[in-house]
Amino acid sequence: MTDQAGEQPVRSERAGDVAVVYAGEYLNKLSGERVERECRRRLEEGCRALVLDFRQTGMVNSIGVSILLGVIDAAERAGASVVFSAVQHQAAQVFEMLGLTRHVRIAKNRTDALAQIANSAAVGVAPNKTK
Amino acid sequence: MSNEIPLQRSPHRRILGRVAPDLFLGRSDALAGIASLAPHASGPRGLLVLAAPAAGASELLRQAYDKFFQQHGAASPIYFQWSRNDRTVALAARRFLHTFLAQLVAHRRDDPSFVNAPPPLRDLIDLADPSDYEWIERVVEAFERARDRADERALVHLCLSAPQLAAARGARSLILFDDVHSVDKLKGEVNLGIEIAQVAVHAEVPFVLSGLRRGLLDTLNGGDSPTRFDSFTTINLETLADPDARTLVDRLAYARRVTLNEQTRDLIAQQFDGSPFYVSAFMQAAKRTGVELTSFLNCQKLYVDELMGGRANRRFNAILEEIAPVLTTRRALVRVLHDSAVNAGGKSPAEAWRRRLELEPEQLYPVMNALHTHELASFNATFMEISANPVWRDYLKASYRLQVAAEPRALVVAETLLETLKRAPQTMARHYRRASALGLRELLERFDAQRVPASLLHNDRFSRAYRGADTEEAGAGLDAETDLIRLPQVVHAASCESFHLAMRQVCDEERCAVAHGFDAMPYADANEIVWIAAEIEGKMEIGRALTEVWCDRLPQVANACGFRRVRLWLVSPEGFTAEAAELLNERDVFSSSRRQLELLTARLSPEGLIGEGASPEPPDEFEMVIPMGGDTELIAAHTVEQIARRLKFMPEAINQIKTALVEACINASEHSLSPDRKIYQRFRVESDRLVVTVSSRGVRIPTAAQQGQNSNGHDPVGESAGRRGWGLKLIRTLMDEVEFERVDDGTRLRMTKFLPR
Repeated sequence: MTDQAGEQPVRSERAGDVAVVYAGEYLNKLSGERVERECRRRLEEGCRALVLDFRQTGMVNSIGVSILLGVIDAAERAGASVVFSAVQHQAAQVFEMLGLTRHVRIAKNRTDALAQIANSAAVGVAPNKTK
Repeated sequence: MSNEIPLQRSPHRRILGRVAPDLFLGRSDALAGIASLAPHASGPRGLLVLAAPAAGASELLRQAYDKFFQQHGAASPIYFQWSRNDRTVALAARRFLHTFLAQLVAHRRDDPSFVNAPPPLRDLIDLADPSDYEWIERVVEAFERARDRADERALVHLCLSAPQLAAARGARSLILFDDVHSVDKLKGEVNLGIEIAQVAVHAEVPFVLSGLRRGLLDTLNGGDSPTRFDSFTTINLETLADPDARTLVDRLAYARRVTLNEQTRDLIAQQFDGSPFYVSAFMQAAKRTGVELTSFLNCQKLYVDELMGGRANRRFNAILEEIAPVLTTRRALVRVLHDSAVNAGGKSPAEAWRRRLELEPEQLYPVMNALHTHELASFNATFMEISANPVWRDYLKASYRLQVAAEPRALVVAETLLETLKRAPQTMARHYRRASALGLRELLERFDAQRVPASLLHNDRFSRAYRGADTEEAGAGLDAETDLIRLPQVVHAASCESFHLAMRQVCDEERCAVAHGFDAMPYADANEIVWIAAEIEGKMEIGRALTEVWCDRLPQVANACGFRRVRLWLVSPEGFTAEAAELLNERDVFSSSRRQLELLTARLSPEGLIGEGASPEPPDEFEMVIPMGGDTELIAAHTVEQIARRLKFMPEAINQIKTALVEACINASEHSLSPDRKIYQRFRVESDRLVVTVSSRGVRIPTAAQQGQNSNGHDPVGESAGRRGWGLKLIRTLMDEVEFERVDDGTRLRMTKFLPR
């Protein structure tokens, strides 16, 4: 983990109409805002679902989490679903404590997340939990 | 350094105390000793306080007075400071009677205003409690008769017996006599010291008799049949121990709003040798002048100012004026003192003093005795030895140059400043070296004829048997050893320097000790032995060449001191090389490493037996300062992770601690207008917990009430105002105890995580 995680660009990719966005090693204000900007860009492109992948994220803080809530709100307004994948232990603890897990689905990894989204689309249900 | 010791609210009114109780440190045992005195109790009837100069004995008695004044229905505290300013025995006795009655009436009326401004004697009769009216009136009338008759002896007896008379009428008191040694200076036919001793021992009233340790007993024990203080206990009041002195500096800085840092704090504590008087005077001067004590230069500038014209200067001036009231004699005295101080060892023959001061023996003796009593010099019948106290030496040198050599003041100030500034790092280095010494003298004192495994005193054997073994394993091995050494019964231990001054040139006083004792019974010449133990500094094993130097040096010391049977013991932190060990064995010199010493110490300590699993205390506190911003909280998180792992916290708990610390750092950065943009962290390891303290200077973060807004159990998501206040909620959830401490400038958050049982 670098100490200047926020300076790294946010990596993302498209899998059909699903965008997979990879969070960096440390999710704080700066890196959270970059993730948020990337997510909004993907939603504007017309993506119908977002997978936020945390495989590299060893540490999140409360400001980063509050920004993720903004992402969830934006996705909801766009009618898109959000799935968190590969959430590491520290991040999972914080998401749980701050109630984030009530608003998104958690997948073991990226593949599992994409499968969850595909299944939800097949049965016509949005994968986001009800607020 | 932000001042980290918030003062507690004073538990009682200050009447005579000159400092708040929070600033009165390191004297709880002495206060308890005074508190143990109670009339009609089976415990001690009195207390002798033998005080070092400037150790704060007067303040001890004043604090005790204030404490006891609050206890209604208990004995009335009476504080009286004997003073040479009374000039005569009769006047001093009269002032005591007046003080006694005023303070007694004040306590019984619960009106402390009489203590500092006593009404006239006659008025006290009317102000007295009705139950006291009659006896006080009789005492006052008897006093007036004795005064009018000019019968000094009767007057002194009457005044000193007032507490006993009061007690007989049900008015109990506790008498706190301060500066008792100064009654020697009062003129009169009656020996007041003896009278005080008689009253204190025979009256059914508890007395505390306090004075300078080199003068008090001489004052009380005059005459043909010295008073026996069998029913008294004794307190030796020294200057403050180093931790108390440092705390005092911190607290005074906080109370006086003086900025200082840890380096200057330690320098102040060291430079004044823990004297509460000098430390208080210095911090008061810092407040008065507005000097920031953030550098050695600023500290030493202020120190020189104090030396030249502050309270330190006035104190020494007053003592010298008392000793030599005539200016020419005083100037000659300064010259002789200075010349003696620059002699090797600070010594000079008493006869030389007599000649140079041009005083007759009967005039010289009081001068030497007074210097001795005030511990400015030691008078040893044939020679005088000037005290090594650095403040006194600095004062003496500056006074000599100004008053005797008539050098320009600017030159003296400049050179004194240069000198003290050069000395400051040496003072601290000396302190650090002293603190790191292994404590050989204390260890020798605990030998007490015990038997210990021989390998603890043979470094080569120990290395062969226990290198790489953990403490438990080594302890078990030592328990199984059959080759034991019987340590001597040590009857006296002191630094080697005390016996042989030349040792000062080669090692610190703490690092070489001499112990006299017996290595077998009975107490006979044949069994008498002297152990000389020396600690050789070194980061690695000591080699043969250096070992040889010490193996030659210590027998020379023994020879010079006339020690007949000697056992030599060399100690080095990392032990000795194989070649050095050979030499040590050839010369029959014991040898140990720091680890052996720790194991030996544990064996000699009743509460620290190595076989029961005790081990040396691990380092227990870590400190870290990080700049705000740049994700530096991650560095803090990595650090605390390492510390928590050492404590064997579970991974989940480690994550919780890391998250809480990251949030605390963010809080510190976000919620303060920190002037230095720094976050101060302290990680304290205790047996069952990790305590993390995060502090920063600047504007405070929200109060506890405001913090509670996010901990009301509501779902935080969706509360628009709540999203950026989750940090504190997280911290409270993740840690077992969370506490905000108010500090003057900034915020301090203390978080505790307990180890699972």
